[in-house]
Amino acid sequence: MNLLLIDHEDSFTYNLAHLLSGFGNLEVTNFYDVKENSVKKSDVIIFSPGPGKPLDYPISLDIYNNYKSKKKIIGICLGFQLIANGEGGIISKQEKIFHGYQTYIRTNSQSLRFPNNALYQVGRYHSLKLKEPFNSSSMHITMRCEETNVAMCLESHKYDICGLQFHPDSFLTPNGKQFIRKIIQFKK
Amino acid sequence: MNNSEILSFLLKSDKELIIYRNSEKNNFEIYTDFVEKINLNTINLDKFLNKLERFKSKKPYDCYIGFFGYELLCKNINLKVNKDSSSFPEGVFFRPQTKIILDKKIKVITKSKTELLKDLKVLKKTNNSNHNKVTVSPNVQVYEKIFNKFKKNIRAGETYQIKIAQKYSNKKELDIVNLFFDLMKKNLSPESFCVRTKDFNIISCSPENLFKVRGKKIVTSPIAGTVSRDKIKSTKEARRFFENNQKEDKEHNMIVDLERNDLSRITKPNSVKIQNLKFVQKYQYIFHNVSEISGTLLDNVRLSAIIKAMMPGGSVIGCPKINTLKLLNKEEKEPRRIYTGSFGYFRSKEDMSFNIIIRSILNFKKNNEVFAASGVILDSTAKNEYHENYLKAKSLLDLLK
Repeated sequence: MNLLLIDHEDSFTYNLAHLLSGFGNLEVTNFYDVKENSVKKSDVIIFSPGPGKPLDYPISLDIYNNYKSKKKIIGICLGFQLIANGEGGIISKQEKIFHGYQTYIRTNSQSLRFPNNALYQVGRYHSLKLKEPFNSSSMHITMRCEETNVAMCLESHKYDICGLQFHPDSFLTPNGKQFIRKIIQFKK
Repeated sequence: MNNSEILSFLLKSDKELIIYRNSEKNNFEIYTDFVEKINLNTINLDKFLNKLERFKSKKPYDCYIGFFGYELLCKNINLKVNKDSSSFPEGVFFRPQTKIILDKKIKVITKSKTELLKDLKVLKKTNNSNHNKVTVSPNVQVYEKIFNKFKKNIRAGETYQIKIAQKYSNKKELDIVNLFFDLMKKNLSPESFCVRTKDFNIISCSPENLFKVRGKKIVTSPIAGTVSRDKIKSTKEARRFFENNQKEDKEHNMIVDLERNDLSRITKPNSVKIQNLKFVQKYQYIFHNVSEISGTLLDNVRLSAIIKAMMPGGSVIGCPKINTLKLLNKEEKEPRRIYTGSFGYFRSKEDMSFNIIIRSILNFKKNNEVFAASGVILDSTAKNEYHENYLKAKSLLDLLK
């Protein structure tokens, strides 16, 4: 399996790269330097965390829109927001900023990849969030923050797409690898 | 001359030398008789690092010891920096032929004793000039403007943590070696060093190691969190303070993940481990909150890749590193030069160590400069952090009085 990790020049991307490396051939590329060939031959495209907002990364948004129905797509943090943006969602500022926080999140019955009503402890780094109401016929919010109810996971029921607002790559997420494993091993 | 006389003459002379604190052996090492002195810039950096790929020290004194300046490290990862109009070198490395170990006994290891004894004429004392007025840049108004701009950047997710630096400078004449040992009596920091050359002098009591390589193992020990010993008496109390202080604790988490990331660029998958999470180190005036993270270097990893992945050190910059550096370099007008660069030694690819240069005085062209930086925090005010910087710089500024 070929994995392509698109790096938005974050200081957490390579933590994610180490998590992903056991699951196939991993290529890491800068967001401004993505080769068309790398995208074409990949089986999984992963959008990394990064500073700023989805609209700062038009190339990544294009890749998402062009490949969302064709390949497995994973987004982490900014990557989650890229997916949301690609599905018409709005990314907005939040009252309380979560940088370096460890909080609880809970899954709901819409999840295809994770058990219903499961509680996980996760690490978070985000100033921005998915603005709600978020209406999409195929994309569902399947995890929420226990404290603030902010969306923590998006899963598509139509395509093989999953985004996490939190960081499975952080040391603040115990068993971060199990999130990646479940998403990678999921078959539509 | 016996060893102690040689040492005394050497220290009082104007011969170029480096004094390096070896905290593992709890002593000082003095390097001199430099057979090579390489001024680094963006053009020769790669060539220098390629040369080191094959270098292996066979004598106790043989090594390359020196520093990479902040601007060079930024340019090395393709970031724009402010032009430094002065002739200050962007980095310098020295290759010594003499090493003197200052322990209970003084040990002299040299390639040539004749060379060592040459030019040991005693200097006349520096006159006590009264150019001791300190100026600061940016001033409080400009600082406040930058601070509020960065607050907006944090709200917008463009940086998660950012540290603004300020420069304090004056023109007092310094007796650099004496000043260094005075400082060591008060504040014996594990990564202290002193450089005395014909063109510039540096003293630093840096507490922070950026990375050590021993064999295939690489270890980094970032510091994030500082509290004054005025308020807190014991290490145990300091630990409780750091645990209960939300802001310090979250900042520390961020730096741990950042350093895990930087190590992950050059190490084998799944080899990166947090060896020691949030332990307290005690200093003369402060406690620090430190973590230790290690990894196993990739086979055949290039030295240049290690430097690019790790430098400049993230804990003194902010997170994410690249965008935060871009924001800083746009707003800060003073070249940082040595500040937040890295000083250290290279004995072979399996034996090297570099620190982060903070708590330093650079003396260059009759001018002394001290930098201090602190983080932009949403619920803090510019004036508070401006004052915090002053407190950090104060122990060094006292030396410039």
